[in-house]
Amino acid sequence: MGTSAKRGVLDQVTASVKSSQIWRSIFRHGYPDTPLNQSLIMMGNVFLHLHPVKVSRQAMRITYTWCLGGISFFLFLVLTITGVFLMFYYIPADQQAYGNIQTIQSAIAFGAITRNMHRWAAHLMVISVSLHMIRVFYHGAYKPPREFNWVVGVVLFLLTLLLSFTGYLLPWDQIGVLAIQVGSNMANYAPVIGDAVHRTLIGGLDQYPTQNTLIRFYTLHVLFLPLVAAVFMAVHFWRIRKDGGEAGPPPPSRSEVELNEAP
Amino acid sequence: MATTTSPSSAQKRYRTLAVVKQEAITRVEKQLEDSVFVWPHLLIREFLAAVLMSVMLTVVSLAINAPLEVRFNVNFPPPAVAKAPWYFLGLQELLHYFPPTLAGVLLPGFVLAGLAAVPYIDNNPSRAFNDRKLAIAIFTMFVVFFAIITVIGSFFRGGGWQWVWPWQGEFFNL
Repeated sequence: MGTSAKRGVLDQVTASVKSSQIWRSIFRHGYPDTPLNQSLIMMGNVFLHLHPVKVSRQAMRITYTWCLGGISFFLFLVLTITGVFLMFYYIPADQQAYGNIQTIQSAIAFGAITRNMHRWAAHLMVISVSLHMIRVFYHGAYKPPREFNWVVGVVLFLLTLLLSFTGYLLPWDQIGVLAIQVGSNMANYAPVIGDAVHRTLIGGLDQYPTQNTLIRFYTLHVLFLPLVAAVFMAVHFWRIRKDGGEAGPPPPSRSEVELNEAP
Repeated sequence: MATTTSPSSAQKRYRTLAVVKQEAITRVEKQLEDSVFVWPHLLIREFLAAVLMSVMLTVVSLAINAPLEVRFNVNFPPPAVAKAPWYFLGLQELLHYFPPTLAGVLLPGFVLAGLAAVPYIDNNPSRAFNDRKLAIAIFTMFVVFFAIITVIGSFFRGGGWQWVWPWQGEFFNL
């Protein structure tokens, strides 16, 4: 008796909340447990509409995609959130940067785990993006009509490496600075434009990274590269849908088809 | 494309109501695809993958601290070897064999351009493994080659980029 009375109150409250103007102004349709509402939510929600309403059962299997593209995107989100937290405490100045990292690591609440997550997620993202690319190649999923989305993917792969590379300098420890020195010295050897590229990267004529280098790498790392990557990701995800969804497992080969057609 | 005509004026006005692609039109002979709703079938998988990843990342981050070497000082003696981040150690290994213009600039540029051009070079329309033996063989050799030189650059190179065995010392940073 008591339970049913309580449920009655709960049901009444739920019903009145769901019929209120506030609720109905936010949610334009009912809970997505009917085919109509399952379609409406995918079409009406700005985040969900990057997905189609329906997907092929075969293409959705975990053992087909291994979720590698989704994991790469998720790691990008983790890196954005942990990165914002680190930005609260990090000053891109050659005299302060190293000390800031030490403070984050030892004196800030959740500082160490956040920095650790940022670092490990960055390495994982390089791995997951590479594996995603390898997976797509073996499934031949770059073939028409998906050629251009593969090219967008190659750009995203490069952006992932650049994001990781620019972040490497920021702690201003010995290995970071020397790794960037090795990397940016490479630019010197580019034909014709080598000197100019090196000067642009380092921010001057110095042999080692300086304050100029630090502020450049910082700005690229926290602002320019993530924005560019976000734009390319939007194009990448949208085109998956517009090019007919995931390619799905490869069809049978020519010889297998012939074998089946033979009497 | 459907059009409407304004009846009141002589001037025709057009509105795009819908663009229907050829392949989207239902044809009787076209087999119905075996498809499921994204909500909940795909979204639950994406959600679980995200949860699993979060748990893994949290556990790893609780267990292992991100490295932080000594503060950079231009007057300090440099370490035995300055290594790039691990994903560039394959290229750094190639620098050991080839001039920097080739190994450090032209080759990575060529690899990226080549990767981007893959769909336009590979004209084979079939996606079946048995029809793509050449493409798969070339790509596999490329991946294995880069994996091997990356591992060599990471664990088998020490001071002055001299060959070391992993048990002779660790010259690797994450």
